[in-house]
Amino acid sequence: MNDAIIRLEEVSYRYPDGTSALNNCTLGIHRNRRTAVLGANGAGKTTMFLHLNGIVQPTSGRLFWGNTPLDYSRAGLRKLRSKVGMVFQNPDSQLFSASVREDISFGPMNLGLDISTVRQRVDKALQAVAMAELADKPVHNLSYGQKKRVCIAGVLAMEPEIIVLDEPMAGLDAAMQLELTAVLEKLHGGGITIVIATHDLDFAYGWADQTLVMESGRVLAHGTPDDILLRPEVGETLGATPQVAEIIHSLSLIGIDLRGNGYLPRTKDELVKAITAFAGREDTP
Amino acid sequence: MLTEQSAYTNRWRWVSPTAKGILTCSGIVAAFAASSPRASLLVAALLMATAIFGAGIPATRYLRVGAPALLFLGASCLSLLVTLKFTHGGGTLTMQSNPAELSHIARMCGRSCACLTALLLLTLTTPLSDIISLLRSCKVPDTLLDLMTLCYRTLFVLSAAIHETITAQSARLGHSTLALSLRSMGGLVANLTIQVWQRSQALHIAALARNNDGALRFLEHPFAHSRRHITMASGAGVTLILLAVLIP
Ligand SMILES: Nc1ncnc2c1ncn2[C@@H]1O[C@H](COP(=O)(O)OP(=O)(O)OP(=O)(O)O)[C@@H](O)[C@H]1O
Ligand SMILES: [Mg+2]
Repeated sequence: MNDAIIRLEEVSYRYPDGTSALNNCTLGIHRNRRTAVLGANGAGKTTMFLHLNGIVQPTSGRLFWGNTPLDYSRAGLRKLRSKVGMVFQNPDSQLFSASVREDISFGPMNLGLDISTVRQRVDKALQAVAMAELADKPVHNLSYGQKKRVCIAGVLAMEPEIIVLDEPMAGLDAAMQLELTAVLEKLHGGGITIVIATHDLDFAYGWADQTLVMESGRVLAHGTPDDILLRPEVGETLGATPQVAEIIHSLSLIGIDLRGNGYLPRTKDELVKAITAFAGREDTP
Repeated sequence: MLTEQSAYTNRWRWVSPTAKGILTCSGIVAAFAASSPRASLLVAALLMATAIFGAGIPATRYLRVGAPALLFLGASCLSLLVTLKFTHGGGTLTMQSNPAELSHIARMCGRSCACLTALLLLTLTTPLSDIISLLRSCKVPDTLLDLMTLCYRTLFVLSAAIHETITAQSARLGHSTLALSLRSMGGLVANLTIQVWQRSQALHIAALARNNDGALRFLEHPFAHSRRHITMASGAGVTLILLAVLIP
């Protein structure tokens, strides 16, 4: 827990209307990991994310950046927000300008960078999300997925250490989801820590190396997907278990053990490959 | 929406907004400097030709965008031209026009036409985001421009929201009779009010998350050959004003 880049300690948060959204929530986000945050609707994922960016302050409990408590002064928040990039769920409520380029420049301009640096970063971010060709289209003529990518580019251009995405895959078609996964993979390869809230259990199982399951404002389980997502209490709160894991389990019941070489498939593609390999092994005695 | 389409697709999309702004301002100055209605109509015709042949805006679209303003102009000129009089004796209504005022009205009409075409030239060739950055470089107060930026963006978000709500209401027979329709309209307004509030809240949070602390700042688009375009526009503008003054 101590190598966490940012962590919440016993954080509780109550909305002004009295709804208690976080209850003694303790968790850490680890550097250079892909963290998936899971939980039923209303479990507190979005509220937790708002804490990571300093948008809301805990009613009780504390947050730490490394080992120093978060500083909620103007300068402190400025520093925090330049390190933690936040992509919200609805693109229409976070795009300010009708021009793609202008909107992406918004964050870097707020950081007070000089014009040529901003221009460079905007171009780099457009490349990273493969939107360079559409940069001069007005935002209101873009598709939902394209708007979403503009939002991500807007955060990328600030070059944060952590990117927090609230349900980035929601509303995207399968091809767009794959593309977005590739974009995220590239970012992660570039050394950015990524945190994603998602309802897609299969995606989380295949993509994440850390999973965090939330239930009624607290962390129910935290660990690697293999470790966590197969637990009965997690299955109960999420209402499902990863399909790949279920299939592997069923196959083991009829004597097919894909675990053979110590490697457990986590995505559909890996599963298909493992089954094919298994079949090959059976054929050639 | 027509204006919007032309602004993004015309031949002059990548001409510096400053140049287009200069041309428009010269057009307005020429409209007022014109010595006769004939001169101002000539200015109007030239500006219109510039938009259609220079910037490549289809003539039909140009007329469709200009038509409401022209109709309005026509109606107001007509009402100035003709005064209704109620004669006391016979109790009859008669129309009168005052020939002395005719030249006055003609001049005003010509001027308005020229101003209209000048503004159309700018709005049909320049997306609003570019116009806003042009205004910014003219030192228009930031608050006003931020408001324009947000309104422009929100316009599309809300029109989409209205469209979706109406579709959803119709799908549940919300507009099948007049009474239901009125009721649904009420629902739409109520729903929209909350949406506006929530969206402004969400925008505020999103602005904070991207480290904003007040004014909205954006990168301005670099325009190629802008110096050359500005020189050309200035030349054309001066010519236009001279023409307007010199033509009897
Ligand atoms: N602005 C608000 N005012 C009052 N209560 C709120 C507000 N936003 C969220 N809540 C409440 O806080 C709790 C946690 O909500 P939160 O949005 O964090 O959940 P979530 O895990 O993101 O859910 P979802 O998967 O549906 O996005 C919920 O009970 C919700 O009703
Ligand atoms: Mg949420």
